[in-house]
Amino acid sequence: MSHTGMGSNLVLRIYMALFFAYMFLPLGVMLVAGFSDYSPPSITVWRGGTLRWFSELWADERMWSGLTNSLIIAVAVILLSLPMGLSGALLLSKLGGRAGGVLYAVMVSPLLTPGLIIGISTVIFWRHLGAAAGLVTAILAQSAFIASYAMLMFMARLQRLDNTLQEAALDLGATQAQAFRRITLPFLRPTVVTATVIAFLQSFENYNTTIFSIGGQHTLVTEIGARMRFGMSPMINAIGILFILVTLIGAVIWGVLRQRERKLEDLR
Amino acid sequence: MTRLTRAFGRPLALLILLFASLWILGLIAAPQVIMIEQSLWRMERPEGSAEISVRIDGLYNQLDVLALDRSAVEAEADASIRAQKLDTSDVALAALEAEIAGLEATESTPVKVYTLANFAQMGSAHFAIFLKTIVASLAVTAIALAVCYPIAFAVAKLETPQRAGMIMLALVIPYAINELLRIFAWQMILNYNGPVNALLGLFGVEPIPFLESGTGVFVAMVYAYILFMVFPLYNVLETLDSNQIEAARDLGASSWRIHTRVVIPHARPGIAVGCIMTFMLSAGSYAVPYIMTRGTAAPWFTQLIYNRFFEATNWNVGAAYALSLLVICTLFIFVMMRLLKVSLKDIAK
Repeated sequence: MSHTGMGSNLVLRIYMALFFAYMFLPLGVMLVAGFSDYSPPSITVWRGGTLRWFSELWADERMWSGLTNSLIIAVAVILLSLPMGLSGALLLSKLGGRAGGVLYAVMVSPLLTPGLIIGISTVIFWRHLGAAAGLVTAILAQSAFIASYAMLMFMARLQRLDNTLQEAALDLGATQAQAFRRITLPFLRPTVVTATVIAFLQSFENYNTTIFSIGGQHTLVTEIGARMRFGMSPMINAIGILFILVTLIGAVIWGVLRQRERKLEDLR
Repeated sequence: MTRLTRAFGRPLALLILLFASLWILGLIAAPQVIMIEQSLWRMERPEGSAEISVRIDGLYNQLDVLALDRSAVEAEADASIRAQKLDTSDVALAALEAEIAGLEATESTPVKVYTLANFAQMGSAHFAIFLKTIVASLAVTAIALAVCYPIAFAVAKLETPQRAGMIMLALVIPYAINELLRIFAWQMILNYNGPVNALLGLFGVEPIPFLESGTGVFVAMVYAYILFMVFPLYNVLETLDSNQIEAARDLGASSWRIHTRVVIPHARPGIAVGCIMTFMLSAGSYAVPYIMTRGTAAPWFTQLIYNRFFEATNWNVGAAYALSLLVICTLFIFVMMRLLKVSLKDIAK
């Protein structure tokens, strides 16, 4: 942007630096407090560094059972929401006009609904059927909106599917099921991978829908929430540091993979 | 249906229909319908229960009289007559008792009555919180939009694509760290003994109770949901052809006019998505007010909903409250779609 004045450009850069400071400062606070040997968690009082909070976290039974529950829920949500999302996308791809529009609106509506309402309505519904709230209702509530993400991703991919391939296969005598398995599914594979990752993250990190639908059970995240209310242990910051670490590793892996993909594309 | 069978074959088409209807009907539509239904009724004492209770009182009187007669009969000398009279009075007593039990059952069994009373239950105090939540969420949305627009524009249009990609990847990091933990960090920062107050103390300012006054909720909420504004804005601005900006500038448009006539009209879908997501997340946020105030400041509407369900265990009123929130969010979506002239297809990308 050679036309932009140096002055306004500088202002924008300073603004951006401030924004980044705003985004990352709390993470820094978490980092410092997690290693600080002082409770309640603070960064204004420093009594030396410690790894105590990590070992306390390691010995915490409820955190471990929460982690197990989180993983169980996440796997179930992936197994449920991906087929549902894919079915929704396939249905829409063959459905035009007003019916398609209405169906589409219903399918994206969970993304525009506050999470707690999805949680509450699921619990009410299952209580009518005689089932109490627990891991299963949490799985169903989460799947309701995570399937919407999957549906949107599959839909975007399906729009780029070359229909002539399928027609050619059918002309050559393949059944529709064969054509689907040999052409459509392989074409969708990259989306299956990303949708799995997104579904896992959405499920694992979810608080709003889960806390309203899980009843007396707990996941790692709802347990963290409960700890924040009762007693403020710096242990929470230790979890935060672990989250940052895992996220950083994930981001680096993703960045490297993308770089490699780009290089491969350049070679072609 | 025929199109579906033709495209995928019968077994696959059935499977697709099965999963799609499980999702749409079982997980989305049915729970919503049941929740709406639940908000519209409550259990009440049956009609005419006052008359019934008067009758029950009367019957109890008769019962006492009979019991008195029976004790008089026991003084009867002739054994056979006594036994006969006792039998008849026992039968009469049993009949009376049965009638009372039946009436009492109808009196105390509540009946389901359809009513709007659950909504009226909100009262002025809760309605004020409802309004406050909406206004605060609107303010959070407006602030997020004002803060993010320059950022998204700068990254999308002033940086090289390579650098823009890096910056966005960097922003994913705070986004990927759990919401609760990020809020907790702000809780520590704004604490009464936290660094902000320590810093203010250096200038001789008395510590400010950020958390207890509700300011903390606001700050943390902007922080927690601002990235839902950045990404949609960035995505639309990235698709804006820089030549359009150049052309406008060459034709003598000022920066202000470039933004109002070229950039913002192009960014409409992104603005709509960002605003809808930010508003919906703020109005529906349970974590932020819960962690930031821990009960010391006036509650957010979501906390009222939580209490109706899990503390007062009045699910009908809880459903009515939840429905009110849902209606507001839906209304906001329609207003944004109208204002910015975008369709649902533009929004969900």
